[in-house]
Amino acid sequence: MYFFDWAVFWQYLWPPTAFLDPLIRTGVVVTIVVSVVAQTLGVVLGLFAALGNLSKFRVLRVLAGAYVWYFRGTPLLVQMMLLYYGLGVTHIFDFPNLELGVFVISGAIQAGTLALAINEGAYMAEIVRAGIQSIDPGQMEAAKSLGMTTGLAMRRIVLPQAAKVIIPPLGNEFNNMMKTTSLMEIISAGELYFAFNQINARIFKPFELFLAVSVYYLAMTTVWSFIQARIESGLGERKGIERGPGTLQRLFAGWGGKGAR
Amino acid sequence: MTTPAQDKLQDNSLVVKAVGVDKYFGRIHCLRGIDLDVRKNEVVVIIGPSGSGKSTFLRCINHLEKINGGHIYVNGHMIGYLERNGKLVEDSEANISRQRAEIGMVFQHFNLFPHLTALENLIEAPMRVRKIPEAQVREEAQRLLVRVGLADKAEKYPNQLSGGQQQRIAIARALAMKPSLMLFDEPTSALDPEMIGEVLDVMKELAHEMTMIVVSHEMGFARAAANRLIFFDDGLIVEEGNASTFFDNPREERTRKFLSQILH
Repeated sequence: MYFFDWAVFWQYLWPPTAFLDPLIRTGVVVTIVVSVVAQTLGVVLGLFAALGNLSKFRVLRVLAGAYVWYFRGTPLLVQMMLLYYGLGVTHIFDFPNLELGVFVISGAIQAGTLALAINEGAYMAEIVRAGIQSIDPGQMEAAKSLGMTTGLAMRRIVLPQAAKVIIPPLGNEFNNMMKTTSLMEIISAGELYFAFNQINARIFKPFELFLAVSVYYLAMTTVWSFIQARIESGLGERKGIERGPGTLQRLFAGWGGKGAR
Repeated sequence: MTTPAQDKLQDNSLVVKAVGVDKYFGRIHCLRGIDLDVRKNEVVVIIGPSGSGKSTFLRCINHLEKINGGHIYVNGHMIGYLERNGKLVEDSEANISRQRAEIGMVFQHFNLFPHLTALENLIEAPMRVRKIPEAQVREEAQRLLVRVGLADKAEKYPNQLSGGQQQRIAIARALAMKPSLMLFDEPTSALDPEMIGEVLDVMKELAHEMTMIVVSHEMGFARAAANRLIFFDDGLIVEEGNASTFFDNPREERTRKFLSQILH
């Protein structure tokens, strides 16, 4: 018979007591910072890959296609191991610790962030490409007929419109990203899940600890879904597109009834 | 019936010269050696059944479509291609863009930029392509909006405007680049009937001082503004002439048949 230890659960759930443990303090910071950095890099990579994919130059199309093919077709966990240990053991790149004033960014965090970003870029490439292709080709023609080059027309006419299509799935990608950072545990990058796993190794309270850490992730994704709803309704107000589902509808979409999709 | 003034055609210089233009879509030979000269300030209306190649020909003039044979010159410059060792090679994108900047185009579906206001639609290309200072561009854009009767709509987004208003903004947008030639690709066929007049009025006004090639079945406009009508069928120019001979006395049987179909 397993006795659920409420004291341990609350101790590690309630931030004022949980944050006394430096592992959890850094874990939360690492998870949030890595998510934001990896997602940002992923968007940039995805934009370039999408433009490569749509390019009239065959070389760029092949490169972009191969990138998306490989990184969507293999597990992120394997990519992470390959990047960190694979490059490390062969001394192709050792991922030395990076010292930024009082902060030290470990090689594992760098490798993990990079792996997350590269993997995310492959998914963002498809999202950006779909966004660009959803814009009426007449827009590009009109821009060209006014003397704009493809690049200028892309930047000023097509991408601003595609952004409206790209932003909702981008929000979902970020929600995923926050949870997927937990895979960095495998290379001991010191993020939130790593922290709780370490504590569990020390005190062995898996039910309490993993339940507590799940609530941390839930809190982060929930806060994000509110931010996302604000961003999307802001988009809708300015540019006259249809309003997306509200935050509550979004959170409980699986519950059926009114507003469920 | 008024015939369009011929004195505006004093200047004999050619704006468009098309020589033997060939165009294939796959195995379909949709332009079969089109020859056409358009003089300065001339207004040419092209009619013809759908699929006859008239819109394709128009799109070849600003190189939105590549051509497979022949040459098109606008203001003496070959459009879209360079002659190298006796062979035609496609010109650089920068050069093609520069050529297009001189040629205004109005589309059937307006193709206004929906994320920009009416005024922003007008100033975007002059600012980014011609690099004219914003203050000056805005002032000229305001004048153009007055000219198309939409000065009060400057801050509206395209989806807040009617079809006729959108098309008038699209005409103003093309004019903002100060082109030497305007191409109209069925400018009124996507419009509700009650909005056609307002667009044609703007075009008629423009016809006094612009070189225009208009693909359209608006026979009222053709009678009032066209110096020349051209009948396209099956990728060929079947007949051309001025409005009165064309309507009242067409030579070709195919022209007669087509006119009877569209005039009911």
